[in-house]
Amino acid sequence: MRNKAAICLSVVLAILVVAGCGGSSSSNQTGESGAVVQGGILRVGTINYIDTLNPFLYIESQAGNAFNMIFPQLVQYDYKDGKYEIVGDLARSWDTSADGKDWTFHLKSGGKWSDGQPITAEDAAWTLNTTLKYQNGPTAVLAGTVAHVDNAEATDPNTLVIHYKKPVGNVLAVLELGWILPKHVWEKYAVGNGKGLKTYHPEQNLPMVTGGAYTIKSYEKKGTTVFLKDPNFTYGQPSNADAVALTYYTNADAMITDLKGGQLDYVDQVPFSAVNVVKKESSIQVDTVPGFETTNITWNSNPQKPKNRELLDPQVKKALSMCVDRDKIIDVVFSGYAEKVENLVGNPAIYANTDLGPLEYDCDAANQMLDQLGYTKGADGIRVAPATSGQYAQPAHKMQYEIIVPNSLDFNGDREFQVVQEGFAQAGVKVTEKAGGDSSSAYALETDDNCDAATSTGYSKFDIAMWDWVGYVDPDFMLSVVTKGQWCSWSDTGWVNADYDKMYVQQATTVDPGEREQLVKEMQKIIYDNVLYTQLVEEQAIDAHRKEWDGFNTALSAYSKTYYTAPHKVG
Amino acid sequence: MTGLDYIAKRVLFALATVFAAVTLNFILFRAIPGDAVQALRCQHCTVQFKNALRQDLGLDKSKWEQYKLYLQGLAHGDLGKSVRSQRPVWDELWPSIKNTIPMVALGYLFSVLFGTIVGVVSAWRRGTIVDKGGLWTGLAFYSMPPQWLGLMIVLFVAGAVGLPTSGIKDPTLGILGDASTWDLIVDRLRHMILPALTIGLVLYGEYALIVRSAMLETLGEDYVLTARAKGLSSWATVWRHGFRNALLPVVTLGALSLGYIIGGFITVEYVFSYPGIGLAIVEAIDQRDFPILQGAFLLLAISVIFFNLIADLLYFRLDPRVRA
Amino acid sequence: MTTAIEAVEAAESPVDVRPGLLRSKVLRQPQTIVGLSVIGLFVVLALLSPVLAPNPKEQVGPVFDPPSSAHWLGTDGGGADMVKLLIAGARVSLLVGFCAAVVSAFIGGSIGLASGFFGGKTDTVLMRFTDYVIVIPDVPLMIVAAALFGRSLTNIILIIGVIYWTTTARLIRAQVKSVRERVYVKRARALGAGNSRLVGKHILPQVAPLLIANTVLLVAYAIFAETFITFLGLGDPSLISWGRLIENAFIDDALLNDAWWAIVPPGVCVALVVLACTMVGQSMEESLNPRLSVGHLSPRRFRVRPAPPPREP
Repeated sequence: MRNKAAICLSVVLAILVVAGCGGSSSSNQTGESGAVVQGGILRVGTINYIDTLNPFLYIESQAGNAFNMIFPQLVQYDYKDGKYEIVGDLARSWDTSADGKDWTFHLKSGGKWSDGQPITAEDAAWTLNTTLKYQNGPTAVLAGTVAHVDNAEATDPNTLVIHYKKPVGNVLAVLELGWILPKHVWEKYAVGNGKGLKTYHPEQNLPMVTGGAYTIKSYEKKGTTVFLKDPNFTYGQPSNADAVALTYYTNADAMITDLKGGQLDYVDQVPFSAVNVVKKESSIQVDTVPGFETTNITWNSNPQKPKNRELLDPQVKKALSMCVDRDKIIDVVFSGYAEKVENLVGNPAIYANTDLGPLEYDCDAANQMLDQLGYTKGADGIRVAPATSGQYAQPAHKMQYEIIVPNSLDFNGDREFQVVQEGFAQAGVKVTEKAGGDSSSAYALETDDNCDAATSTGYSKFDIAMWDWVGYVDPDFMLSVVTKGQWCSWSDTGWVNADYDKMYVQQATTVDPGEREQLVKEMQKIIYDNVLYTQLVEEQAIDAHRKEWDGFNTALSAYSKTYYTAPHKVG
Repeated sequence: MTGLDYIAKRVLFALATVFAAVTLNFILFRAIPGDAVQALRCQHCTVQFKNALRQDLGLDKSKWEQYKLYLQGLAHGDLGKSVRSQRPVWDELWPSIKNTIPMVALGYLFSVLFGTIVGVVSAWRRGTIVDKGGLWTGLAFYSMPPQWLGLMIVLFVAGAVGLPTSGIKDPTLGILGDASTWDLIVDRLRHMILPALTIGLVLYGEYALIVRSAMLETLGEDYVLTARAKGLSSWATVWRHGFRNALLPVVTLGALSLGYIIGGFITVEYVFSYPGIGLAIVEAIDQRDFPILQGAFLLLAISVIFFNLIADLLYFRLDPRVRA
Repeated sequence: MTTAIEAVEAAESPVDVRPGLLRSKVLRQPQTIVGLSVIGLFVVLALLSPVLAPNPKEQVGPVFDPPSSAHWLGTDGGGADMVKLLIAGARVSLLVGFCAAVVSAFIGGSIGLASGFFGGKTDTVLMRFTDYVIVIPDVPLMIVAAALFGRSLTNIILIIGVIYWTTTARLIRAQVKSVRERVYVKRARALGAGNSRLVGKHILPQVAPLLIANTVLLVAYAIFAETFITFLGLGDPSLISWGRLIENAFIDDALLNDAWWAIVPPGVCVALVVLACTMVGQSMEESLNPRLSVGHLSPRRFRVRPAPPPREP
């Protein structure tokens, strides 16, 4: 009897073990399923290329990912239960002085650069100070990481102290955007006017000195870059794969075909039109997480815009927005892989305001609102804006406008425009599509060529645009795009509001998280109530991998070393 | 006018045209409203960054100054710097050029090969359906947009013959240094075949026509008839004389149609994601990287001018009427 | 001494154009009839497109739906009916084709006329200018111009038109020159006829048919060039043309979805129209100029007509 029971039990246990081992659950983000098999080459396909391996020169976001792999950061992100939180990379722990102006980082010891030199706090201090020194010139790219910094010093090989001019609320989030460079290699370029920092192309002078989970074996800007596992990586989880080969594809079709055919193991961004094709493959696993990218209707909110000033009225903008069928956009443009969104910062961001609106899809109510506001429909069904007097006097005119649509969107902008066009038409407003060109030229169309914040010149020609924003974990950047300080730079609405600008400075320097959260949420509400943007949908971030590999965490792309070190072959 | 005079005249003309192309290039790209830097948009493209970049690229000087600098730079082989990467334009374009040349050469080869075969067969079976069919098929291919033909090939041919449809090589072949040179060469060739085939198909029609005419000429010529009467192997004779007849127009056409090929290969490279100069141009357009566009454009214009010059000189050399 | 280009165009010694030549000889040829029918069919479809295909971009079915009885050629990447899209596309493609061809013909014709008629310095200057323009690669220039000056329909038409006039110019020049030397023209001049009379009464009638034949070929090439431009994303985004449909298919991942019905038809339409224009234009030119019949193949041979094997005159 006992023998039989024992056998039964063992069988049951065996089955359980096998079931646990063999199947991987669908949206597993922690890389635990399947036995971890070390080694192998992780072949990655991407439509974003690494433009340079010099952090002072990069423009493409994929370079940021590469830097995460080869350089230490003070801190990085982890993603748990749908939330991002800061964790240490080279820094073990940190504390702040009482007045909030001094931050002390305790670094892990034993880290080595690939040439054998130790990684110390001196490297970190040097990087920050050099960035600071040349922030108006050669190091402008990383100037954001040293905002409000007075100076940085290494009080001992494993302790870094950063002195701030005033208490700053989002120190860690901002530092996460930078990397620590080996002083003994880079200091010779930081002489004189520092121009050497911008002409040094390490990717052309391999091997380069690295200090991350990988070294660089070979680099091709528009081809394949090979990262080799660094066996001397001590301060974090070493790579499971022996190497990561990142290949750039100009054409997403070709990339997906290679994934299907087994020439790739992982694709970091699956185009929306290909998702359903990929899902049909039984050998490929598709993962989605809420993404940071939100699409919008951008309204020219420059208080001094000369024409079509009826579009400055939040009620008008809201009414028109109520006629846009966002569900249809999600279906047709994003194949279902998006959600409606109301806030500007993106739902995965900290302090995202999820209590806004929601914007109802109710065109009857919208039409009523517009009728009541005095925009009567003409015989042809197009509403007429009545004549106005005063400084910006305009004669009566039909409500018909152009919408700028850039061609650099990662989804089909024309189709999104069509849905908007249909919606506005039902509200009695006619819109036509204007080619925006790529982001640079679309942006020039919005701001005007002679944009000048000092004299408030600019934002005089466009009425409406459709675009997208890619937010970040810390909402600071997204909140800044509607400030006067970003006029002619990141602002595309041309909005001006002194109170809001004050709040922006305040939230950046508020140390108490509760206070900051309140401020940030209120700022989002202000943006929402003024309808500076009509937020349409928030795209999901979709990646795909062949089932011979596991351990991927879509949400950590460009946010953590583990994004590439964690994936492993499956037993 | 002696031969030397002629050569000198043509070379001078070529140089003058290069200069005109250079100037046109400059004017075209400076005519845009706003400059390329002002409109740059990226995570850290702050006003500081852009001003520094503008200075770096010399965009803060007057147009005339810029023109002079541009010419000076050209004299030293300096095509300027890319706005995106801030590396010299030549360094950015050279790898692309290296990729395009063999692919286009292969395409040319295909077109001459197909054209010759079809031309010879058409001439041999003159007036029959084989003849008409051959020529009309050539014309049909000629009428198809090359990018569309490329898509057709990807759709219907690639899978069947197991050839790759994108890129220039298998990305992970030999990354750890474990592939033989032969493997690498074969891999490259496999990636070149389909785009080259597309170009070849689109162009072969005209070669077929020329070869056919040349062969027909030959078949009617006295000395060939005599040779045949004497019982000499007709194929060999016809072939030898026909070849000579066709040589001049084929060569001339080849050199002169580079201008047409350029339109074709840009879209073909785009369809096949083949990282040559055509694709570089498309990407530069997307990214508004005008120095790259300017450089690529200039290089292409110079190539066309150069090949036209070669055609002129070759024609002069080979034209029997001229050699008195 | 001739350059390769000139030698290659040597076959084009113009002939005397008899009125009625077109009607009697050209229109009888099967080539012309077939060509004109095809063109005519598409023109009719294009004209009727607001009636046959209203609202072509409207979504009427699932994305990339295969051909069925409801939608004969299935749906595209946005769920719109392919047949309606093709008909609507005909309108824009043909419009661009004809307009650009007319612009080209006008420029080329004017330059050729001025050059041939006035001769001397005017001729030299204009021909030098033409020589420069011929050598500049057309597609890159079009791409660059479209990228720089924006993507409206008018721009596209103008850009194409402004690049392709060169062969027309040379052709017309040669014809005008020859006509100018004819006896009856010299006589008219001796009798005191003014320039405009000479041009209007004597030269134009000899030049016009050739210009028309050339324009037909230009149409083919303009339609072709439009597909290049739109394929690279430089076309007017609010308009549907056949080139646009090919581009859409590429961008919407039609290949990946095995949606051949979204890729094949637009290219077939372009090829058909281009072929048809070639057939018509070619047969017209052949009738007007028999010595052309050996060498030339089709639209893009504009730049170059392959030389017939040289023979003693």
